[in-house]
Amino acid sequence: MGGTFDTAVENAWCPGCGNFPILSAVKKALESTGKARHEIVLVSGIGQAAKLPHHVDVNVFNGLHGRALPAALAIKMASPRLTVVVTSGDGDIYGEGGNHFIHAIRRNPDIALFVHDNQVYGLTKGQPSPTSDIGWTGSLQATGVISGPFPPLAVAIALGCGFVARSLAQDVELTAELMRQAIAHRGFALVDILQPCVTFNRKNTYQWYGKMAYRVPEDHDPSDRRKAFELSLSWDERIPVGVLYRKEGRPTFEEVHPGVGDPPLHARDTPGEAVLAMIRKRLLSP
Amino acid sequence: MGIDVNIRIAGGAGQGIHTAGNLVSRIAVSAGHHFHATQDYMSRIRGGRNSYTVRVADAPVRAGSERADILLALDPAHLPHLLPAVNPSGLAFSDLPPGDAPGGVLAVPLKEMAISAGSPILANVVGAGIVLRVLGVPVEAADRLLALDFRGDFLEKNRKAIRLGAEWAEGRVSGRYPLPEAAFHPRLIVSGNEALAMGAVAGGCKFAAGYPMTPGSGVLHGLSVDGPPLGLVFEQAEDEIAALNMAIGASYAGARAMVATSGGGFALMVEALSLAGMLETPVVVVLGMRPGPATGMPTRTGQEELAFAISAGHGEFPRLVLSPGSVEEAYALAHHAMESAEAHQVPCILLSDQYLADTVVDADPDDFPVLPVRRRIVRGPDVPRNGEGRYLRYALTDDGISPMAVPGEAGITVVADSDEHAEDGHITEDHASRIRTVEKRARKEAGLAAETLPPLLSGPPDGEAVLFGFGSTKGVIAEAREILARDGVRVAAVHLRQVWPFPSEQIDAIVSRYGTAFTVENNRNGQLARLIRAETGRRVAGTVARFDGLPFTPESLAGEVKERIWAERSTRR
Ligand SMILES: Cc1ncc(C[n+]2csc(CCOP(=O)(O)OP(=O)(O)O)c2C)c(N)n1
Ligand code: SF4
Repeated sequence: MGGTFDTAVENAWCPGCGNFPILSAVKKALESTGKARHEIVLVSGIGQAAKLPHHVDVNVFNGLHGRALPAALAIKMASPRLTVVVTSGDGDIYGEGGNHFIHAIRRNPDIALFVHDNQVYGLTKGQPSPTSDIGWTGSLQATGVISGPFPPLAVAIALGCGFVARSLAQDVELTAELMRQAIAHRGFALVDILQPCVTFNRKNTYQWYGKMAYRVPEDHDPSDRRKAFELSLSWDERIPVGVLYRKEGRPTFEEVHPGVGDPPLHARDTPGEAVLAMIRKRLLSP
Repeated sequence: MGIDVNIRIAGGAGQGIHTAGNLVSRIAVSAGHHFHATQDYMSRIRGGRNSYTVRVADAPVRAGSERADILLALDPAHLPHLLPAVNPSGLAFSDLPPGDAPGGVLAVPLKEMAISAGSPILANVVGAGIVLRVLGVPVEAADRLLALDFRGDFLEKNRKAIRLGAEWAEGRVSGRYPLPEAAFHPRLIVSGNEALAMGAVAGGCKFAAGYPMTPGSGVLHGLSVDGPPLGLVFEQAEDEIAALNMAIGASYAGARAMVATSGGGFALMVEALSLAGMLETPVVVVLGMRPGPATGMPTRTGQEELAFAISAGHGEFPRLVLSPGSVEEAYALAHHAMESAEAHQVPCILLSDQYLADTVVDADPDDFPVLPVRRRIVRGPDVPRNGEGRYLRYALTDDGISPMAVPGEAGITVVADSDEHAEDGHITEDHASRIRTVEKRARKEAGLAAETLPPLLSGPPDGEAVLFGFGSTKGVIAEAREILARDGVRVAAVHLRQVWPFPSEQIDAIVSRYGTAFTVENNRNGQLARLIRAETGRRVAGTVARFDGLPFTPESLAGEVKERIWAERSTRR
């Protein structure tokens, strides 16, 4: 690879893991933005996928399991000029962080979210994730998963997310391109990436995803929300990849939040006269 | 104190007891006097039994009183509950037909007068008019204050209501508790929660997030109102977990950040508190205590989270825990928390409670100074770099504090990780590196301890007994000590503004100078007593505990302390 964003941090992923091509795609996409290292922040939670930021030479905030989005939102609020990208697992974002996922979309910050969706908890060794298929047997569900899967793209479209796409880990070109578009989109953008876990998921393999996935038809109009919603729910027969839904124009959280903007919070001072004015408001004078 | 009148205005939620209490308080200040207001309310939006008690005196007052000299009961159904606390020589008013008033209660057609003033909702203002005349204050004094709150037609109606109340009282009860004329001094009118928010804003807080929970919500409200003019960004989070993770994210990006909550919300924040410890991000958490466990008594007071606050979080990490005892201290300590959290790159907890949160007093403006804000962020050429030109966020230093740069700084990256990490912030499982990093973080303990705010001692420097308290009991203990001194019982009082790092040496030295020591706490288990024992090895004789959900009052505390000292004396014999 030898890209400008390489780090020397030792990698802890299993050989052959779908996280590797996703990492290549992230670097490609970030390089295509033309931004310097210091202008980008990668935020993640906890899990195998969440270790990705350590392998990209940019600012990194690797926080708690499920809590990447609140931290990312605040970083964006504090310094809106930073390019904030969240990259984490399906367990992290849809499971532990499900509440934050919903509210991040509602707020619509200019953040791109890349979910490594391997339908399994990798780091904790093989439990089902919210996106596991019914019947899948995990280490804690010997008789198979009984709850219906969480449909991330449908939920995102339902909540009004302005950029909703799905990709396939092994298709680095497509993944990088969708990531590039997600970063360029003004507002919250989701790219759910079908990621094989070669150790714990014997069902959703490279071959399986390769067989199931197909490019969203050329004639699909991504601004057609109804059609996008329909596509987002297609899973059992074939799985569409590409941009399912795109709608520009919804104001971003940073644009509508009255306090967010320049200068960034770290550069704002606390003038004594303003402090005095705050205190004086409570003064009862004759 | 020459003047000491306690006025209780009671009614259901929505009946405007707050407005009336507020008016009476400000009138006292306009007349050159001082006040302390406490609120007692139930967890409901309408109805229930609430009261707003204003204690007026000719010197600053820092505690409430259970006994009422003047009772205004807007709802007569509350009288059986309220009357036992009225002074035998006191006055009680309620909205009753003349013949129906129980002994000692004056029937007043509050509602009727309110309607003739223009609206039945003005019964509270009519009542305030009566209180004014009981205090011998001319109604004109109220006009200017009403004009600050109301406009136009509604102002006129309020003025009329005040006058009708005052006229009714004229001849009947006017001047029964006269407030003599006194020189007016400009005073600030501030609540505990407002003071916490103001102190944080004055201390450079630029980001705040929270999820409402009584009594923390009042701080959030203060931050959302006072913060934005000073560049603070406020966000209502989807839950407390998000709130503290947001604050930590903002802090990573260089903003001084704060959250405010109560016990249940704080319990949800604990994982993130530990994250702040690991990432060494400064952050301030206001923990407004109320009785627990679980949801407990949502609108009442308690001090049950001392042990939790000093130990909350998994793993070991340094922290600062402060416990303001007055509105002035709330302001000062919130500022100090902002400065100290950043200077040491640690989380700081401000332990407050419902009693302090909802206490309103008049304060000296000089006690709310504009203090310097010292940012510690390194920028530009000041950012240290290693041989390879890299910035190390967690560089090993002698005092454990690494120079803090923020993302966006050209030429460097800032790497923060919740996993154990090396100096560069990246994950490592190397055991030797782990030891070095743990020791680095631990070195901050010494720096924090060296800056410990000493406990405040008042009363004799040695003698028979000493009382220890933390947080909101400060004013009550101080007044109880004065009452005891008047009764010939000489005790000292110690207030802990900082409970962690624990001021062990000072407390140890103090305990050794007195025959016996008690703690005064709004909890059952004597958490401060246990802490003193654990940190100094000294035993205190016990705890004067109150955990019914209400604050201590000076008279009852003094009585209980007296009994405990006698009991202690007799067992020692
Ligand atoms: C509060 C909390 N609960 C549980 C864990 C344990 N944990 C670590 S990673 C993980 C799941 C990771 O799954 P996913 O996000 O799908 O990432 P993957 O490892 O599959 O890439 C869990 C449950 C944790 N670190 N914190
Ligand atoms: S456990 Fe699965 S997801 Fe994790 S590194 Fe191994 S293959 Fe990848």
